[in-house]
Amino acid sequence: MASPIRILTAVPICDGHDSAINTINLEFIRHGIEVIYLGYHRSVGDIVRAAIQEDVRAIGISSYNGGHVEFFAEVVGLLRKRGANDIKVFGGGGGTITQEDAAAMKHKGVDNIFFAGTSLAEMTDYVRKHYGRPRGKRLRAKSPDQELAHKLTEIEDAYATRRKRPTRNAQSKIRNTKVIGFTGPGGAGKTTLIDELVLRFLNQNPKGKIAILSHDPSVIGEGALLGDRATMINSQNDRVFMRSMATRGQAGGLSPATHDCLTRLARSGFAYVIIETVGTGQEAMPFQKNGIVDETVLVMNPDYGSRLQLQKIVMLDLADIVVVNKSDLQRARTAHSEIEQRLDQNRRNQRLVDTVAKRHRDPGVDELFALISKG
Amino acid sequence: MSKLGQVVESIEKYNKFVLDQVKRARSDGQFGRDLVGRWNDMKAKIPVTRTPTGIPLPRLALPEIDEPGEIARYLFGEGLPGEFPYLNGAYREMYLEPIREVESLAKNGHAKNGKPAKKIAPAEEPTRLFSGLMLAEDTNERFHFLTAHQRTQRLSTAFDGPTLYGIDSDADGVFGKIGEGGVAIDTVEDMVRLYDGFDLGSPNFSASMTISGPAPIIMAMYIAAAKRRFGPSVVPKLRGTIQADIFKEIQAQNETIFPIEPSLRFLTDMVEFTTHQMPRWYPISISGYHIGEAGSTPVQQAAYTLSNGFAYAEMFAARGIPVDQFGPRLSFFLDCGLDAEYIALARVSRRIWAIGMRDCFGAGPKAQLYKLHIQTSGRSLIAAEFKNNLTRTAAELVLAYMNATNSCHSNSADEPFTTPSEEWIRLAAHGQAILLEESGMFKHTMNMLSGSPGMKAVERAVEAAILDEFREIERLGGVLAAVEERYQRSQIQNAAHRYEQQIYDGTRPIIALNKYRNGGDDVPEVKLVRTPRKKQQLQVDRLATFKKKNADKAKRALDKLADVVERGENCFPMLLEAAEVCSLGQITGRLQEVVGRFRPMV
Repeated sequence: MASPIRILTAVPICDGHDSAINTINLEFIRHGIEVIYLGYHRSVGDIVRAAIQEDVRAIGISSYNGGHVEFFAEVVGLLRKRGANDIKVFGGGGGTITQEDAAAMKHKGVDNIFFAGTSLAEMTDYVRKHYGRPRGKRLRAKSPDQELAHKLTEIEDAYATRRKRPTRNAQSKIRNTKVIGFTGPGGAGKTTLIDELVLRFLNQNPKGKIAILSHDPSVIGEGALLGDRATMINSQNDRVFMRSMATRGQAGGLSPATHDCLTRLARSGFAYVIIETVGTGQEAMPFQKNGIVDETVLVMNPDYGSRLQLQKIVMLDLADIVVVNKSDLQRARTAHSEIEQRLDQNRRNQRLVDTVAKRHRDPGVDELFALISKG
Repeated sequence: MSKLGQVVESIEKYNKFVLDQVKRARSDGQFGRDLVGRWNDMKAKIPVTRTPTGIPLPRLALPEIDEPGEIARYLFGEGLPGEFPYLNGAYREMYLEPIREVESLAKNGHAKNGKPAKKIAPAEEPTRLFSGLMLAEDTNERFHFLTAHQRTQRLSTAFDGPTLYGIDSDADGVFGKIGEGGVAIDTVEDMVRLYDGFDLGSPNFSASMTISGPAPIIMAMYIAAAKRRFGPSVVPKLRGTIQADIFKEIQAQNETIFPIEPSLRFLTDMVEFTTHQMPRWYPISISGYHIGEAGSTPVQQAAYTLSNGFAYAEMFAARGIPVDQFGPRLSFFLDCGLDAEYIALARVSRRIWAIGMRDCFGAGPKAQLYKLHIQTSGRSLIAAEFKNNLTRTAAELVLAYMNATNSCHSNSADEPFTTPSEEWIRLAAHGQAILLEESGMFKHTMNMLSGSPGMKAVERAVEAAILDEFREIERLGGVLAAVEERYQRSQIQNAAHRYEQQIYDGTRPIIALNKYRNGGDDVPEVKLVRTPRKKQQLQVDRLATFKKKNADKAKRALDKLADVVERGENCFPMLLEAAEVCSLGQITGRLQEVVGRFRPMV
């Protein structure tokens, strides 16, 4: 079995037209493609950095606000400068890109431009045909980011082609890197919370680097929309290495290749490695006992239902820190006291923090950051 | 229950009230006779006009009913144009030609000649054309071209991408975007150039600015520019509109630069200022257009626009601004495409707004009006055989005027490729003039096309569907909660996806695209309007000079601005000071340091 095609899609800077790309993304994932969606209003630097870290086969750019000849050319140029010639660029812009423009863009190294009236099927076929072939021999990586990205691809591909079984043995302790696992139900705000923590890290450590391994579910029998980067505005930074993974049929919130990828990241000199699971259910316990995750954070939504539901959440016994996010919601006070009682029963000195991650400079997030950086 | 839940109840209650009046008119003899008497008096007083061939027509057409119950249903359920609940129009005469002679309708239906009426000052043309390209001086030139033959100067300004996102022309990676799709504005000096030669304080001038994320900053720059040219006394005279619609940006257009709460706070700061200091300004244009263009259904467009409007009204009222002061300064902006719903979408919206504002906000008559600008649908225009777009736009214009819009923009046929060129802009503008001035469809008689059985059917279906959407938003906790849960966004995205599917599977015919295609793809010969690199460089250079010149003053102004925002006071007066010496990007950047950046929703 071949590895799914991974591509990155984005809308250029100063352009909010995401209607077309949303539709195209859905069509791609329906046909088995894994799409890392970077969102709209994205700079050339953000796009190229993400493409290299995610080690995608191609970048699809949807541009409706003009300036496309320059923008596409800059993307191709920066990819080449960073030694990522193997990442191809394609795109479209309805009627705003003329045949003449397209010719100029192709001349500058863009693979293909789709015009108005191109069917979704044509685009999907194009991507599968041109970016679905096995990779050739890879050139030497030009940067640590690129080298790491290539390694992670190797690991993922090995699992996808079933050449490898997950390594289950406990890893030796890794020094100088703290690995933090974030889990919790979908919609609790894990992604926003992590991004806010990253912002604090970047502000307080002028040189340190941080890695994020983020997960989104694969659609059964289909591809996956990996969209965390679109909301993680602070994490699109040269000091943040981020990799988005699809679960590829594995239950429990992580991918078959996660453990090995995480091990690799943990040995790559980052101050922190953050791993975020997909939204999990009550019985989930995604992180291995005695694994390399140093600290686990369970992010809860105050609207978990009745107190009885709390008893069923396994991670409440295991997490080192429990966060009640969206603590501006009415039910948050009740949630706090119910969870507090539940944690008291455990007698494990677990910490409970209330946050409003969507709020800028939220004191709760400050508190969580302090807790994490102390441990 | 949120305010929107109350609005739903008020509409249901009002509809029941209408039914009760119908019953009463039929059972209560005196009430019924009074209604019939009023009805007949009213009809007798309707002036008569003549077509160019000499046929007499009433200036207001009313249904041919004489039964008290039906009269009650009409008067209470629809209202005459200009009367509550305003189904048929916000004003009495809208685009009718000024009266040349007054005739009164005799009982037998024949007209008899009357005395010439005294001359009535012509109203403003409802035509308002959207424009913005390259640098401020280029757009200025276009403005002068567009208004050369107009009695009134109503300019509508499109900004380029960097301006819409509140960043400067010298920001990283935006060079190719300078002046593309709209005009580049970085500083108050650009704003002076943009409207050069126009008398900003004149009652015949109004400026409309299509910008939302950084709207308070751009508004401050406009005021600063006006003061530079005409002195401080011009401020209360300024007329115009700024879009400033944060909700629709988050739901559809994605040009938001601060998180939701501070965005709404800066907006309310601006509205508080303009309501008190600039009584002739419309500080927000509550817009469904971009919701429609992003792919919503017509009903979603109307429902989200109305519910956003009610949410703003709630917010402004909570700030302590009296509803009868801000209410008349709210205006609306809808898309008009080719779907059947558009036959009555704006009519129904006008009625729901009036009832909701009266019964849930205690608004007086002026604050009940859903003052509407319509633009024909850009999404309905396609590149293939693009001249067909003239027909599409013409059909949409008819629908827009059937809905008695207060003003209208007709799209240029070349819009699928580029910023419209002069040739196609002219045709678009002429399309409106042909409908309103040349054709007899709208100039002789109000209600000329209103009230057909089909239109009534659409009204009922659309109103029911809008109220269902309101109930869903209410169930999610009101507009703000639904926005934060991305409800409207995902609904719009689903609708857009369905629309595309329908085009591809052919259930939605698009002529020359999926039906009657002429074989080969024709390449339209359109002269493209692109900003030359030299101009883009000029903009960057000008900005550098401005920043250098004002460096010290800018720092002080930004510090003061940040302080005011931290303290939670109304920041608009401080924005006015900052706009004199700071660039757009400098102000945005400093505000983002204090309140954060907008986190996109996928």
